[in-house]
Amino acid sequence: MIMQALMDKIRETPSRYIISVLIILFILLPFLTPYTALASEMLIFALFAMAYDIVLGYSGMLSFGHAAFFGLGAYGTGIMLVHLKAPLFIAMVVGVTLSFIAAWPVGYLSIRRRGIYFAMVTLAFAQMLYFIAFKWTALTGGDDGLQRIPRPSIGPIAIESELSLYYFILIFVVASMLLGLRIVNSPFGKTLQAMRENENRARSIGFNIFRFKLFAFVISALFSGLAGCFYALLLNYVPLGSMHWATSGEVVMMTIVGGMGTLFGPMLGAIAVVLLRDIIGSYTESWNLIMGILFMAAVLSFRRGILGSLRERLQGS
Amino acid sequence: MSQYLITQLLNGLIVGSLYILLSMGLTIIFGMLGIVNFAHGALYMLGAYAAYTVVGVLSGNFLIAILVVPLAIGLIGALLETTLLRRLYRVEPFYNLLLTFGLMLVIQDAVRIGYGPEGEPFNIPGALLGAVNLGITYYPKYRLFIFAITVLCSVGLILFLERTKVGAIIRAGTEDSDMVDALGIDIGKVFTFVFGIGAALAGLAGVLAAPIQNVEPAMGMNFLVETFVVVVIGGMGSIIGSIIAGLIIGETLTIGVLIWPPMATTLIYIFMAFILLIRPRGLFGRAEFLD
Amino acid sequence: MGRKFLTTTLIIIGLAVLWVPPVAAEEPVRVAILTDMSGPYAGICASNVDAVKMAIEDFGGMLLGNKIEFYYRDHHCKPDIANERAKELYERERVDIIIDVPNSAAGLAVSEQARLHKRLFISVGSGTTEHSGSKCNRYTFDWAYNDYMLATSVGLWGADNLGKKWYTITADYAWGHDLFKNFTAALKKKGGILLGNDNVALGTADFTPYLLKAKRAKPEVLVLLNAGKDANNATKQAVEFGLKKEMKIIHALIFVPSIRAVGPEVYADDYVAGAWYWKVDTPGAREFADRWLKKFGHRPNWMNPANYSATLQYLRAVKRAGTKDPKAVIKQLEDHTFGDLFANPGYIRPEDHMQVGKAYIFRAKRPEEIKEKDDCFEIVGTIPPEQAYMDPKKTGCRMGGF
Repeated sequence: MIMQALMDKIRETPSRYIISVLIILFILLPFLTPYTALASEMLIFALFAMAYDIVLGYSGMLSFGHAAFFGLGAYGTGIMLVHLKAPLFIAMVVGVTLSFIAAWPVGYLSIRRRGIYFAMVTLAFAQMLYFIAFKWTALTGGDDGLQRIPRPSIGPIAIESELSLYYFILIFVVASMLLGLRIVNSPFGKTLQAMRENENRARSIGFNIFRFKLFAFVISALFSGLAGCFYALLLNYVPLGSMHWATSGEVVMMTIVGGMGTLFGPMLGAIAVVLLRDIIGSYTESWNLIMGILFMAAVLSFRRGILGSLRERLQGS
Repeated sequence: MSQYLITQLLNGLIVGSLYILLSMGLTIIFGMLGIVNFAHGALYMLGAYAAYTVVGVLSGNFLIAILVVPLAIGLIGALLETTLLRRLYRVEPFYNLLLTFGLMLVIQDAVRIGYGPEGEPFNIPGALLGAVNLGITYYPKYRLFIFAITVLCSVGLILFLERTKVGAIIRAGTEDSDMVDALGIDIGKVFTFVFGIGAALAGLAGVLAAPIQNVEPAMGMNFLVETFVVVVIGGMGSIIGSIIAGLIIGETLTIGVLIWPPMATTLIYIFMAFILLIRPRGLFGRAEFLD
Repeated sequence: MGRKFLTTTLIIIGLAVLWVPPVAAEEPVRVAILTDMSGPYAGICASNVDAVKMAIEDFGGMLLGNKIEFYYRDHHCKPDIANERAKELYERERVDIIIDVPNSAAGLAVSEQARLHKRLFISVGSGTTEHSGSKCNRYTFDWAYNDYMLATSVGLWGADNLGKKWYTITADYAWGHDLFKNFTAALKKKGGILLGNDNVALGTADFTPYLLKAKRAKPEVLVLLNAGKDANNATKQAVEFGLKKEMKIIHALIFVPSIRAVGPEVYADDYVAGAWYWKVDTPGAREFADRWLKKFGHRPNWMNPANYSATLQYLRAVKRAGTKDPKAVIKQLEDHTFGDLFANPGYIRPEDHMQVGKAYIFRAKRPEEIKEKDDCFEIVGTIPPEQAYMDPKKTGCRMGGF
């Protein structure tokens, strides 16, 4: 009986209820995971994957360079906290702003191309940024990474403990989810989806495809940067690998597994991948093999991902 | 002075040779099937391991390895195409890219589990040891052998595509696969064949590399992204492009590290971005690929 | 709908409460090893898990009235995974100590987590001098070796015995640069000259441009500051281009698995430093090596007894302290001299928490010299700890309180 009601609800206006369920899940997540830091990691990558879906699922652009924005957010925040001993709020603003600023030229140049060429250009730019992070050891710690990032309090809010950090991140993630929902349901968002479906028709109607894609790209980079900020706080450290194209590959994986084009599916994908990686990593060394197989299975059968398949199955019946 | 420079230039030629073999395979796969094969590096690695298995484990000789291994890797490629990649032709091309990405993880880890992570010994075959007197300088015999095989393969591939009936079908299929299908030719078989050839070339590169590099599960990763760069610069789908760009990249990496060490590898990424932005079809590619 | 929702929520919270593990009456000692079991150094480091387990068994398996609990985790040599695993181990599994962690960036990350969680960390695998230098902290110990020891011992010996004109090829990242700094300092001390250096990106497969440059410079010694597959590639190609006929080669770090991977012909007559070898005359070493051979079919590499020793000395320190409270145990470890199958004597310096001992200089044997399995090295020299390790007053470590 409860299942029936649940199915009906998912079939109706999906997003409003899914967001409520997700928020409840997120509130309880620290108590459902083996250790709180894992829950925070899930939340961070959920945000990153949601941001990425704006570019992949909603705008149809396969970016292989998003790790750069994630990394810029992480390094920006970390550098402010470690080298300049800035207050937390300012450090976060700087991190997000760095990603935002970088997204404009990268997007401007990359979006001129489509499909695989777009992916290659983003990869090239991301590798250049990676190289800068690698070489500028005084600022970034180079290969060692940025060490000893503190967790200062914002006024009365202390985030030293893992649990308090988690709920601090959650506030921003929920805000981002609501914002993200607003964006994709807005005329801007609807136009993006129309463009993804049939670019020529959209162009013939008179829409400036380039500008729409660029805005989507920049918005996505902004949220990715925000996720990066929290990553720096969670680890007390920024690894160089956060800017590597393998991290870009990971977020693509999470988005596909969760269901691209659903905005919140990728969040579930991120939770699943982070959890699986932790569980599999604890018990076996063959986790690349298992992740690879799962990913291939996801690509082959779940092309629509967990959430998308669920929706398809329910709408079809 | 000049002896030193000549030797370095020759080195660039040999590095370029491996890139040529790898990118010729990658470029015909992309040209014909539209797949960006992320598993290409893994196929290269399989070639090296297969060579080790033939020579080290089964006590065969190197000549047998060169003949048999590319065939074997080609068959593996054909198998992968028919069982896995074929299913995603109807959807957007980047799904196959992602599928091959997953495949790369699986193949690499499987080899690591099976053979161990450290690597396997593989030495230059006795008959090819030593150096050859080229007048200006001495140069390792084996490396010249790599160059010779690469030249043979490139010429062979070009002749095959230009002069034979099957080659004509492949060229036609690259331009317009629906038309070829409509003419009654089983395009599916052609796809499989082309992927097999691409894989075979990667496998051959692996066999040739085994004596001069550490044979280990991640050895393909060093070459993968650079091979993409070669293909993009040369032009996706163009054999000539692969050859020219392969040589350019080989020399850039080799000479580049001598002139400006810190930037050598990043230089080629900048080059790739430049090409993509100014002339995305690459040096010899066709404009249709820009969709 | 409202009431159903409320009930479901309460049930979920109720279930969540059950996740909280019960508080035990008397807490057992929990030992964890975090190492590379499937990444680039797995060939050398994965076996450290067995070494730690063996140490626990040899100790007797029991401590302070409880069975010693043992955990192992894989960090694939990645610092971010190491960071997560350290948190998981300290928070969820509530381990008292983490051992090993190869890869310097990973080691530094875990060191910070140890400091934040106020638990112990004994770094064995990561070689960075920062553990006992500017990034030292009261909860971290550095065992068996560091980059200074590797570089200085074979550097000093090499300058005396092999030649004073050097050329270096350095892996272009933090570890490589750290080694370069220490090697050149050793060279300078002996009045040698550095003819040139090349920084090479990690994962480079083709070293020939650099090797040719080196050949042109005509050094007496070529120093390869890299490890693993980079060292394998570089050395293989050095042989190919005939460099070995004109100069000697010193490596930063070579283990038997690398020699197995490319074949002893490749590394023949090369030199490297190490902290132990299965044929040293340290009491207990040979028995350990024989036991290892029997159990695993090959001899141990020196990381294995190093991890064994770290574990054993920790357990003994807990026993001496009579409690597993980190502060008490740390005080027992500091300024402690010990003898075990790895180091005899070994000493833990209180100023920088560095475990110091003798360093050995090895020459890799030619294939025809290898008479028994894994007997790939010949010991050609030893360096006493006072020379092999930096003066503790100069390390830059300001060891704080708890």
